[in-house]
Amino acid sequence: MEPWQWTMEIVLLITVAIILIPMAWMIFVSLQPATGIINPRFTASFSLESYIELFSSGTPYLQQMGNSALIVAGTVLLSLGAGSLGGYALSGFRVPRGITFPLLGVAGFISIVPPMVLVPGLYVTLASLGLIGGNLGLVLANTVFQLPFAILVMKVNFDGVPRSLREAALIDGASEFEAFWRIILPLARPGLASVAVFTGVMAWNEFQFGLTMTSGGSTSPLTVGIASLVNPNQVAWGQLAAIGVVAALPIVILSLVANRQLVAGLTQGSVKG
Amino acid sequence: MAQLLLAGRRSRRRRPMDGGRFAVIALLPSIILFAVFGILPAYNLLRMSVSDVALQGGVFTEVLVGFGNFAKIPSDQTGARTMVNTLVFSLASVVLTVGLGLALALLVERSRVFAGLARRVLLIPLAIAPVVISVIWLLIVDPNIGSLNKLLGNLGLPVQSWLGDGASAMAVVIGIDVWHWTPLVFLILFTSLQALDPEVREAALVDGANSRQTLRYITLPLVMPMVIALCGIRLLMSIKAFDEMFLVTGGGPGDATSLVSLHIRQVFFDELNLGYGSAYSVMVVLAIGALVAIGFGLRRLRRARAAS
Repeated sequence: MEPWQWTMEIVLLITVAIILIPMAWMIFVSLQPATGIINPRFTASFSLESYIELFSSGTPYLQQMGNSALIVAGTVLLSLGAGSLGGYALSGFRVPRGITFPLLGVAGFISIVPPMVLVPGLYVTLASLGLIGGNLGLVLANTVFQLPFAILVMKVNFDGVPRSLREAALIDGASEFEAFWRIILPLARPGLASVAVFTGVMAWNEFQFGLTMTSGGSTSPLTVGIASLVNPNQVAWGQLAAIGVVAALPIVILSLVANRQLVAGLTQGSVKG
Repeated sequence: MAQLLLAGRRSRRRRPMDGGRFAVIALLPSIILFAVFGILPAYNLLRMSVSDVALQGGVFTEVLVGFGNFAKIPSDQTGARTMVNTLVFSLASVVLTVGLGLALALLVERSRVFAGLARRVLLIPLAIAPVVISVIWLLIVDPNIGSLNKLLGNLGLPVQSWLGDGASAMAVVIGIDVWHWTPLVFLILFTSLQALDPEVREAALVDGANSRQTLRYITLPLVMPMVIALCGIRLLMSIKAFDEMFLVTGGGPGDATSLVSLHIRQVFFDELNLGYGSAYSVMVVLAIGALVAIGFGLRRLRRARAAS
């Protein structure tokens, strides 16, 4: 290899290190005893005390992980359902403009404005429905903000399915819904996978709605639990690192297993959203 | 005859109508979700922005007061500071993430050894929670237990209070954002580089262009539309930024790193000033709308000039 090629590879290696070392440091801190963390020198030992304290009885974190898992499940299911139906409707059907224009307008509005701008109005709406402080309210808030992406990805996927398949199914006596459910939807599986992976990751990571729509403790998702450990008076650093590792682990594993779907979601979600 | 005409009209109508009716029904879940949790909150926001809102015993009482809330915006010093902060933060973040992301994409495309590793590793900051990214960086920049000060101390250098003064806190917050989002720019530009027809660049090389000239006159102009689009996307994203600032600096010291979303949360949930917070939010939406309009205007201008 020529010298410039070596330089290039070294630059890349440094980039990889800049990404990995901060994450590795969090894992390292999570495995140190408290005395090692506050020591101004670098010390290395091995201790699981932070993890044990984190999940000892009386802490809300396990419950919060359960909440987050439920929010993920609800958001994924609802986004898949509403998103695939909506994407199918917008893919080739003649829908009155009086419906599509406002729909696309709202979808664009939701994708562009900061979520925090809509949080107060959303809070009032959820409060009037009695959905403040529960998982269902967070599922609905998350879904609405993921839905523009879900509809778009599904529409693009349905656009790639030949329309003659639907017509053949209708001629064979299937209803519109049967044609969609049994014939078309299974062919859009790659889109379903992208939507599921991406909306799932987003719902697991979501913080602003959880922060503003729940009152903390066992009613909150995990991200709010992490934030509650950042107490300006006394931070439990070891537990903070440990809970960070716990929250990141499923996502990192998913990014390795479902690499392709996640990349598709991230690129399409930001370019078209 | 009349019957035939009627039947003909009916049957001509029915085919697309049936599908159309199904499509409208299929859109219903989305329409309901958007209406109840998108349009209704936006309407609430507009209504509260022209009202005096009080929260008493868990019940909202609203009194219409006109545009008085908007009139308070110019005298809101924290709000003005927040705008300036958001502008500084956004400009720095857009320039750095797009610049570094483009450089990385060009590097990885030519790299043979570490390209695969880099692509996998760069995905991780995009996938993990922003809250976890805050934890990662708190463990680095905290003045007492952070690894950065441990490193400086062990090297015999003076330790810094990284979040102690406004300028360095802002630099830390921008740095975290760059760490978080450069990978996204990289990922998108790398994908579009790979989608380029390799023959175009090979032809340039065959015609005697060196690799620098190929980059300057072939590759960069081809990805430039995507680079410009990414500047717009990243600008909108940076205006949305909230999680990391909320946890790492809390908007401080003072309000040196407070961004619009942090200010809105504070006005609403700490000061419970719902009317004014709504007016401020509406103004932020209008400002974003103006930015988007300018962006599309510029694009139309560029296209018109390219066409002529």
